[in-house]
Amino acid sequence: MIDADHLSKFFGSHKAVDEVSLHVDSGQIFGLLGPNAAGKTTTIRMLCGIIECDEGQVRINGKPLNRSQADFGYVAQYFGQYEELTVLENLDFYARMYGVTDKARLTDLLERYELMPYRDRFAGNLSGGYKRRLALACALAHDPVVLFLDEPTAGIDPVTRKLLWDDFYRLSTEGKTLFVTTHYMEEAQRCHRLAFLSAGRVVAEGTPDSIRRAMGDARVYAAAVAYEPELHERLLAMPGMMLVNQFGDELRMVVETSVSQQALQDVLGGQSSLTEVEPNLEDVFIALTQQRQAA
Amino acid sequence: MIRAIFRKELLQLRRDPRLIVLIVVMPLVLLLLFGVALKLEPQNVKMAYVDADQSFFSNMIKTGLWTDGYFELYEVDSREAVIEEIRAGRAKAGLYIDASFSAELTENRQPHIQLYVDGTMPSLTTAMKYQSGAATDDDVTADMYFLDADADNVVIAPEPFIMDTEILFNPDEKETWFFLPGVIGVLIMQISLILTGISVVREREKRTLEQLLVTPVSKSAFVIGKLLPYVIIALLDFYFILGVGWAVFDIPQPSSHALLFMLALIFVAAMIALGLLISLVSSTQQQAMFLAIFIIVPSILLSGFIFPIEAIPGMVRPISYAIPFTYFVEIIRGLLVKNTLFADLLVPFTALAGFAGLFVLVSILKFRRTL
Repeated sequence: MIDADHLSKFFGSHKAVDEVSLHVDSGQIFGLLGPNAAGKTTTIRMLCGIIECDEGQVRINGKPLNRSQADFGYVAQYFGQYEELTVLENLDFYARMYGVTDKARLTDLLERYELMPYRDRFAGNLSGGYKRRLALACALAHDPVVLFLDEPTAGIDPVTRKLLWDDFYRLSTEGKTLFVTTHYMEEAQRCHRLAFLSAGRVVAEGTPDSIRRAMGDARVYAAAVAYEPELHERLLAMPGMMLVNQFGDELRMVVETSVSQQALQDVLGGQSSLTEVEPNLEDVFIALTQQRQAA
Repeated sequence: MIRAIFRKELLQLRRDPRLIVLIVVMPLVLLLLFGVALKLEPQNVKMAYVDADQSFFSNMIKTGLWTDGYFELYEVDSREAVIEEIRAGRAKAGLYIDASFSAELTENRQPHIQLYVDGTMPSLTTAMKYQSGAATDDDVTADMYFLDADADNVVIAPEPFIMDTEILFNPDEKETWFFLPGVIGVLIMQISLILTGISVVREREKRTLEQLLVTPVSKSAFVIGKLLPYVIIALLDFYFILGVGWAVFDIPQPSSHALLFMLALIFVAAMIALGLLISLVSSTQQQAMFLAIFIIVPSILLSGFIFPIEAIPGMVRPISYAIPFTYFVEIIRGLLVKNTLFADLLVPFTALAGFAGLFVLVSILKFRRTL
């Protein structure tokens, strides 16, 4: 449904996106994961044709970009609807840009995104969550088969975020293909497939599970230890230590296989027990990012 | 706190290199341009003449007018043709010398010659009347006294001939007739350039452009869809301002309402398209405003709206002709004050329409379907 081959983008001499190839099947929710400045927004904008790629090509629904505009919708990272227009006027405008004049469709969308009570309100006066819903409704006005969402839940409260994700699944079961960028781990977890972008390159791709395993020669240990700066310093100084991360009273460490459990236990001291745990996506995220930076 | 804000503002300004260029370069360019261009002394004012006499004496008069480089004379067929040349705008002044001129002169019968000046532009009219004095200078008239050596002493007139001056069009030299039609154009130019000047930049700054660009909108649909509403608003504004002009200051009625509408439409379209072009090349609303001013100020000063084009030196004059407003001024004065025929306005109409077409075309080419 989305086929991108060897996309590259230069900003000056800096290669922001480096030979990114992505293939997304119909009906999938595909997550593009990566830290800030990894090139996620540049990539999604190239996929939508808002910025030109310097190398490579994109096909959506089997068509080149200049003929596929009606096949996809796009929700930008920042609110891009007209603040001076009402909710309904915005939705009507985007529908008409695609030649859609079906009033019933607009009403359905307003109801689906609970915008009915606000339909005559100026878009600029909506709260962040409702702005996001409006943007989504506008992107769906022409019933596209592909939906691009650039950080759709950034700055959104957990309740609204869950509602949005429920909706993404519903869209996916309705046969739509979703392409989502995010740096939230728990969101990445929800995607069918993921690509991990770091410094403009795809460093891992696959299902969330396969990516977790892509850590390769690394082990993850957890210990019940409260935060202690000196301890962190000492752990980070160990050769082969990839990551030290504190979650409340839990300390997680990602280490190369060369580091033995006993060596870690020695640094930690006797008061807490160390157990090997399954890596989560966050571990992978940070580990992969650090590997890239080291390399 | 004031210091912190002060510093922040300066830092922000410094980070917009294009704005700095506009702040520094614009005044420099305009100052140099106006320093060279703005003269109150017209030169090479076109004068159509008929010299039915074709004598040594009539040549003296023409030479007198020509000598200071003030008037540039060219010959036409008849007295009517002289007036027509002025109506059409090809000449600003005219001269008619009757066939009997030298015959009457030699008989000391004080013949009359007829000078015509265009009254549309009072400042130019006054200057022309003053400068036409060259025709009756001592240098010219010195050899025009004829005394019969054998005759008794007779009293001869102090002037060997009399030059009658007739002011055509706007004979009362009303300043409002001259200024107000142009003022309407200035207002429309300002409204148009500023309305549309920010139209695209604002979409860029408010990030709505990004959402618009993913739609299947074509370049021409975008440009024309952006232009049309402003064209209609500016047109209504044109007639509103003109209506007030008619009601409050007695601006004359046009010779043709259809032509006036055509003028309004083409001029508004050109200005709106130019505004859109400004918006497309600017990256901030501030830059767009500066560009608009950069166009408006020279348009006012170099178009013949205030200073006669005849007073602008030859090397700067191409700039005058590159300003759409120049043609607007010429046409609207022709329609409201001089009753100029359409055939004689064809050139400025074509020029104005050309500008409109050019600006729309460049806007379409300049509009990128990408950020």
